[in-house]
Amino acid sequence: MDTINNTLQLNHEELFTLLKGFITEVIGAEFVEEMDITPDSSFTKDLEMDSIEIVSFSEKIKAHFGDQIDFTGWLSSMDLDELINLDLRMIINYIYECQ
Amino acid sequence: MVLIHGMFSNLSIYYFNIAPVLAKHFHVVMYDLKSHGMSERFTDGYDLESMSSDVLALMDVLNLKKVHLAGYSFGGLIALKTALKAPERISRLVVIEAPDPQDEKARNIIDEYSKEFLEHYVANFTDTTKVQMGKRQMEKNHRMYEFLFEKTSIKADMIREKHFLGEANFSELDTPTLLLYGSESNCKPTGEWLKTQIIPSELELISGDHNVPIQEPAQIAEAMVHFLSQSLTKTVTQNHG
Repeated sequence: MDTINNTLQLNHEELFTLLKGFITEVIGAEFVEEMDITPDSSFTKDLEMDSIEIVSFSEKIKAHFGDQIDFTGWLSSMDLDELINLDLRMIINYIYECQ
Repeated sequence: MVLIHGMFSNLSIYYFNIAPVLAKHFHVVMYDLKSHGMSERFTDGYDLESMSSDVLALMDVLNLKKVHLAGYSFGGLIALKTALKAPERISRLVVIEAPDPQDEKARNIIDEYSKEFLEHYVANFTDTTKVQMGKRQMEKNHRMYEFLFEKTSIKADMIREKHFLGEANFSELDTPTLLLYGSESNCKPTGEWLKTQIIPSELELISGDHNVPIQEPAQIAEAMVHFLSQSLTKTVTQNHG
């Protein structure tokens, strides 16, 4: 008998929707309404996320993907400039490749 | 092990660079102090007695009987208070940049607080981190400070702790303790003083000021791992030998 695979690989569009949902949960729908979140949105500059909000966002990614992805490890390998320039597309690509 | 952050900060001070190194050796627990980070807001209980009870209550909930405890800045004072109160529950202590609460500068922040103060802080923040703090962050930070300073007992509670270091009986503390301070920090004399008070303690200076966990996270993490992993005999020998 076949085993049903529950962790079907998400495509880029699905990942974007999922991550946008996480961001909305972290910073609140009222702020997200005023923003145009795109894959090019940067975390610090465009989304104005501070470190504790990025922590919450990372925890949501961890809770969703589990051991499949070492998101915190990936983030902590970056230097300050890379972190400042981090945008949604980079995260989508990273998760896509890890899946 | 349990990590306590400082006043007006949150657990993210450890989360990205320090905790991942510690997590290779220990089960790491981080939490936001009341009214800080993502924690619920409370109007009172900002004295060291209440804050250390919070640590012990957290340990109870997580079923942690005995832990290594580390605290930064005001969190370092909470860690010291917890070890004095429940020594049987703390195996080793790491105190990073704990200030002397008698020092006016720490408490004056509260008196001087205003939106102007925050804007000044933001300007400096921008200089050191190269990140512009946006409007939403400004407002969010402003709301947190305003709540803490105007709606809670934090100011009175901190003033009440003015003589904590002088009144605490550190000579009875037999928990092996690592004191980590910035070599350029205004708080360094407190670290040197604590070294003379806590018998099983060692003081390690790391290049930086009060913000040394942000300036040198890798060195802070490595110093902690080294101290927490060494055998107890070695700790005692180092301090008496």
